Amino acid sequence: MVKMIVCIKQVPMATELPWDAKSGTLRRDLADGMMNPACKHALEAALTLKQQHGGHITAITMGPPIAEEILREAIAMGADRCLMLTDAAMAGADTHVTSYTLARAIEIFCPDFDLILCGCHTTDSETAQVGPQLAEELNIPEISYVDHLHLESRTLRVKRFSDNFLETLEMDLPCLVSVNTQHFQPRYIPLSGLQDAFEDLNILAVSASDLGLDPAVIGIKGSPTKIIDVYMPRAEKENIVLKGAPKKIVEELFERFETRIGGIIRKDLKWEG
Amino acid sequence: MTLHAPEIWVFGDYRNYFQNRVTLQLLSRATVLASKLGACVCATVFGHQVDEWVGEYIAHGAQKVYVIEDKSIKDYSTDLYVTLMERLARDRRPEIILVGATTFGREYAPRVAKRLGTGLTADCVGLDINEDGLLVQTSPSFGGNMLTKIITPEKRPQMATVRPGIFQEIPHNYQATGEIVRISLPKDLPKDRIRLISSERKPPTSQKLEEAAVVVCGGRGMGSRSKFKNLYELARVLGGEVGATRPAVYSKWADEEALVGQADKHIRPKVLLSFGISGAIQHTAGIIDASFIIAINKNPGAAMMKMADVAIVADANQVCLALIKELKKRLRG
Amino acid sequence: MRLDPCMKHKLVRKAVREFSEAELGPIAYEMDRDARFPWEVVEKMRPLNFFGLQVPKKYGGADLDSISYAIAVEEISRVSGAMGLCITVHNSVGIYPIVSFGTDEQKERFVPRLASGECIGAFCLTEANAGSDASGVETHAVASGSGYIINGTKIFVTNGGVCSLPLIFAVTNAAEPLRSASVFILEKDMPGYSVGEIEDLCGMRANPVSSLFFEDCRVPQENLLGKIGDGINIALATLDTGRIGIAAQALGIAQAAFEASVKYSKERQQFKKPIAAFQSIQNMLADMATDIDAARLLVYRVCALKDAGKPFGKEAAMAKLFSSTVSSTVTNKAVQIHGGYGYSKEYDVERYFRDAKVTEIYEGTSEIQRLVISRAVMNELT
Repeated sequence: MVKMIVCIKQVPMATELPWDAKSGTLRRDLADGMMNPACKHALEAALTLKQQHGGHITAITMGPPIAEEILREAIAMGADRCLMLTDAAMAGADTHVTSYTLARAIEIFCPDFDLILCGCHTTDSETAQVGPQLAEELNIPEISYVDHLHLESRTLRVKRFSDNFLETLEMDLPCLVSVNTQHFQPRYIPLSGLQDAFEDLNILAVSASDLGLDPAVIGIKGSPTKIIDVYMPRAEKENIVLKGAPKKIVEELFERFETRIGGIIRKDLKWEG
Repeated sequence: MTLHAPEIWVFGDYRNYFQNRVTLQLLSRATVLASKLGACVCATVFGHQVDEWVGEYIAHGAQKVYVIEDKSIKDYSTDLYVTLMERLARDRRPEIILVGATTFGREYAPRVAKRLGTGLTADCVGLDINEDGLLVQTSPSFGGNMLTKIITPEKRPQMATVRPGIFQEIPHNYQATGEIVRISLPKDLPKDRIRLISSERKPPTSQKLEEAAVVVCGGRGMGSRSKFKNLYELARVLGGEVGATRPAVYSKWADEEALVGQADKHIRPKVLLSFGISGAIQHTAGIIDASFIIAINKNPGAAMMKMADVAIVADANQVCLALIKELKKRLRG
Repeated sequence: MRLDPCMKHKLVRKAVREFSEAELGPIAYEMDRDARFPWEVVEKMRPLNFFGLQVPKKYGGADLDSISYAIAVEEISRVSGAMGLCITVHNSVGIYPIVSFGTDEQKERFVPRLASGECIGAFCLTEANAGSDASGVETHAVASGSGYIINGTKIFVTNGGVCSLPLIFAVTNAAEPLRSASVFILEKDMPGYSVGEIEDLCGMRANPVSSLFFEDCRVPQENLLGKIGDGINIALATLDTGRIGIAAQALGIAQAAFEASVKYSKERQQFKKPIAAFQSIQNMLADMATDIDAARLLVYRVCALKDAGKPFGKEAAMAKLFSSTVSSTVTNKAVQIHGGYGYSKEYDVERYFRDAKVTEIYEGTSEIQRLVISRAVMNELT
């Protein structure tokens, strides 16, 4: 029996990023939300462990009220309970403060956990920092970018790639892993699961005061890093357009760019034939 | 009150040295930052029998190297190295700590930052000093489609991880000298909570696509599996690798190994030929580091076409075949 | 009255869309070209309750509300009209009659096997001489011993080639076909049951539509659904429900065609502009969007009525009539917007165009729907 916590985050479903051209910012309010893919893989890893060893999964997220959607999704996939950390004071948190807030919630609501699983990184901020920092907050060992998990008694054995090394590592519970997206392909959501997730499930919504947290040390106020500018990288590309019959295009391509392409493939592309 | 010149520290990530040159690249950038702050460029090296790396770092810009050497720390250990850095940093109070965003670095730096109660910016593609003497950290998000400038106004040290390949290393300088500060291993170092069972160096074959100088990428616009096959021939002639988008892999025109995108492989070719790809962000996030992009698509308005240096409006397969034909002609001679 | 989708409906849509795009998307073209029924996808659909969308939990279903059901059918149809057809026919007219009219014993015997997708269902009404006119049914069941012997041929059976628990509408007294009509649950391995050639159809080609032959097919008493003579009532109730599913299916096809048209018109350039800049295209897109929106609201309205236990026959006919008509119009416009490319199999719109047409014909032609609606309104306004 293993008591697990999965940290999940709602990120914009950015197939088409809705940009506000004037301010150069992302209109997050227009982009639909989804469970961060790596977080889903972490949930899948937890579900697999639950199937193998029995146990309990609590899904936690910190976000605006709309993030409730991913908690319901987690329940539909098989999580047992969920926790919603939501409070205006928590908004704008960097990873330092996010991990702090998550840790306090875990200490109060799931104190005797065995294993925490996180996605290796999110598709929006992509820092990959919350997992390791959460482990620090809770003073437990952690390993990131895990590809394989094997639990035996109170020892967790993992495999992962780290800078060209295939490593096999072990640590004892309680601990934390951040999960890679190469494996743990998430299962599809069974529709009966979705029906159950909405039937009479109450999501426990937790505010900063429920956690006994001073607003000054969380959210944007408590974050040691501050954003001073956000912009889209200007494409400094010339963007030359070629049209016409393929043969003519290729000829033109070589005429204008032969040195560039030739230099890269290290062959002389000039053909006098 | 600091009694010595401010210090910029670069974590010595020497594992995998010849491929992994990120420490040297960071030392080079640290030198630029140091000149604006009147700071001293330092490296930190933890491990066993590390003189080679110490010498290298000095030759590539480190004015000072902090060395903690002991047999018990000869293998990289996140747990132990985090404590070592924490103790060292509390003692010496560096202004800035930079860590290469290798797999190790991306796990290590956040924990150091948390221990020191400071902020950390991940995967920076730019580092500068602003008029207030603060480190301005430029970090990408949404697969590089958005850039954010970040500062750490109050907490110290200011920390950042930096991707390999962003900065250029200073050429090896045989004449360079530097101060070596040897620090003994703390006696009360807590036991490593993570046990390394085995570590196998994997042959870098799986990195072929990520390291290829020429990549030929194909998407749904190729039309069929048999047409997609032509891209392999083109890649062969160019001496490059083949990449694919998710739709192409789903249709089984290419292997999962060839997937290029935000959650898959990130490629950095000098030339990218993109055939029949519309340019959805999940794919383009994997190609933003391509130097020169030639995109071929029937639709001139496709996002991929706007991203390209050369946008060819034509049938992707036909252009591929014409290219193969022309290249074979030219390379024969 | 809430008009924006609630969180549950959003998630149902996401879940089914994700599955359909991943599993059916890459093979939809080939399924249509080769008229291939994708068993490997059916295998993956089974544990996700696609075959028991509204079946009660105790029989292994998802027990979803009707709007969730309609969304699921729409999302599958948006990627593959043929599979959307399979799922809606199985759920609406294959299982629903048993859940509504079956004895507890029948429900326990048949519903779990259907809800799990182990068996695929169908409803066989149409015959060579009985299309819109159900009184032309000639398949007959004769009492014999403790059961019945069934003889006859059903044609154009959706899921015919793959179903194993079809419901058969048969008459028991040739003199009074409609009064004596009854519904029997048949099993594929009953002696005398055989499957005809799979039809070579214009659209919905991946659905194995075929004839079913019954030659002295012995059916036990326990397989009679309801009583002798209940056939018409069962059929009418079943068709009302089935129409909701077909309306959702047609909606999905229209939605796919519409999305493709918007995308194409932004990319395709003529006269130095994207064709979306031209008013004639804009007008077409505007009409398509409005029609689809209206169809969607009609579908959800009838779902709400059904779930509230209110009569919904007229509204179901309206939804089916309107949605199928919209589907044909929208897919026709979609091909037009794509120009020459729209006529080529290189693009998906010609498949949407072919698939859409039959939604105006099966499960009650548009003419029959109008009959149902006009009768209802004439009854209401005396």
